[in-house]
Amino acid sequence: MDILRRRNVMAALLCVALFLPVAANPYQLFVANLIFIYVLLSVGLNLLLGYAGQLAFANAAMFGIGAYGTGLIQVHFGWPFLVAFPLGALIATAVGLTLALPALRLSGLYLALSTLAFAQFTQWVFLHWEGVTFGAGGFKTPQVSFAPLPVDQRHGLYYLSLGIVVAMVWFARNLVTSRIGRAFITVRDSEVAAESLGVDLLRYKALAFGLSAFYAGIAGGLYSQMLNFVSPEGYDLFQMVLQKAMVVVGGLGSIAGSVLGAGTIVLVLELLREFKGAQEVVFGALLLVFIIFMRGGIISVIKRHIPGWEEPLHRAPTRPEADPPAASPLTPPAQERGAS
Amino acid sequence: MSRSMLALRGVGVSFGGVQVLDHVDLDVGEGEIRGIIGPNGAGKTTLLNVICGIHPPDIGQVVLDGDLVTGLKPSKIARRGIGRTFQTSQLFKGMSVLENLMCGLHRRTVTGLVGAGLGLPSCREEEERTEEAARLALEFVGMSQFADRPGHQLSFGQQRVVEIARTLISEPKVVLLDEPAVGLSLNRLSEFDLLLRRIRDDKGVTLLLIEHVIRLVMDVCDEVTVLNSGRIIADGKPDVVRNDPSVVEAYLGKELRARHSAS
Repeated sequence: MDILRRRNVMAALLCVALFLPVAANPYQLFVANLIFIYVLLSVGLNLLLGYAGQLAFANAAMFGIGAYGTGLIQVHFGWPFLVAFPLGALIATAVGLTLALPALRLSGLYLALSTLAFAQFTQWVFLHWEGVTFGAGGFKTPQVSFAPLPVDQRHGLYYLSLGIVVAMVWFARNLVTSRIGRAFITVRDSEVAAESLGVDLLRYKALAFGLSAFYAGIAGGLYSQMLNFVSPEGYDLFQMVLQKAMVVVGGLGSIAGSVLGAGTIVLVLELLREFKGAQEVVFGALLLVFIIFMRGGIISVIKRHIPGWEEPLHRAPTRPEADPPAASPLTPPAQERGAS
Repeated sequence: MSRSMLALRGVGVSFGGVQVLDHVDLDVGEGEIRGIIGPNGAGKTTLLNVICGIHPPDIGQVVLDGDLVTGLKPSKIARRGIGRTFQTSQLFKGMSVLENLMCGLHRRTVTGLVGAGLGLPSCREEEERTEEAARLALEFVGMSQFADRPGHQLSFGQQRVVEIARTLISEPKVVLLDEPAVGLSLNRLSEFDLLLRRIRDDKGVTLLLIEHVIRLVMDVCDEVTVLNSGRIIADGKPDVVRNDPSVVEAYLGKELRARHSAS
């Protein structure tokens, strides 16, 4: 079972992703790119929801703000994608940070409702501020050129997304094994105890909201560019449910779970694309099954049955002197783990 | 008396017209173990909440080691060196015992978002020091064998001890304990006496504890303060306080007091 450790599985997935463009047709490449984007969204949302425990419903709106920001800066100012894209993400982050203010006073359902109201408000702005957002019909964004590099938009964007996903998932993994990630969990598990240990609630709530908005903003910029089109309905309530589903199916409070959850949901939705109507039924059923029977998501099942998927909340100390005996041929690692 | 470590001056708190604390003055010396007792609703927990900033007082001052801390946010007051435990277990459920303790060092560590996210060497180093300190603190309370257990798998009494260790790890000046002996069996109570004394003697921490287990208070406290209806009605050595007529009256009522003194 050692071969199925998280490190190996993730490395294998990365290899597949690296060489996929060689074999895949444009549709398959599109789906893979879509998975990257949703991995960003679900990892970011999990930081806020699963780690910091803030039941917020504005992630789809942040996704939209990233997409609109990136698209509109290109269209209105004529700035290139590679400038507009980070700016769009920063705008989303700034808006996300302000959401931490209500979160300081509200929790649970009330926070959910107020952030939901905020998300509906952004929808309204996308729809009705026609002079800027082009209203319900949406707008087209220009093709991006990766000029000196010999790649077209599709492949360039694919590798850009892949690089960003790897970097940002790695960043999130590091974060949750540090004092910052643990501070998020103190806020989730007991606010009074968190404060009694010197954790500033405003600071860490703002950090969680800002981070998840940044992840969503980056995802939004990539998404708008991949479609070369932005319209309000891509960032509505269904989008929010989709992202929540990924986090729940993958596993709350698990970065690896978010990666798997995003991949699973995107693949299920794409496989069912041929069967109109089945998509929503299966999607709903999936959510129900996970909420009733598998509260911990896919990751909890994996953690139970396969060693090497544990996610401690501290960095396991590097003990170089402890490693060689385990690797020596006299004690094959397979035996040590044989029992499980 | 030794140097004043924690002092309350004329503290008053009212909730919707009810005077919960009424002109409370309190002086706790450095290295003292102070017990706060009193009947239910006397304002004991409110007193702790005032000290650690959860309920800023309406009037009056809280002074920690010569510094005024009245009106600061709870997290700021914690950073100044006041730790506390709560009436109900506030262990972080999603973490192991060791990780719970590592959280205790939050106020003494500095790694920021970028350092943590990039896993910079300074972050790794701090992380190692934090874990080391957490293991030492677990050893101090004699619970090393539980390091990797999820917090919620411990018994209620064990959770309280872990919480105490979690506050000690950041070397606070004062620790407030809200009914720490709830859920401890009688034979563990004497171990607990010992633990409190070791915290004072080995760590140099000043302790303020609310407790209903009178035996523990009388055994371990240097001074006892009795609260009744938001006022301090007695203050002094345990055996003096125990025989104070107003204390007996607060606990037993007037008539019983007559019977008590008659017998």
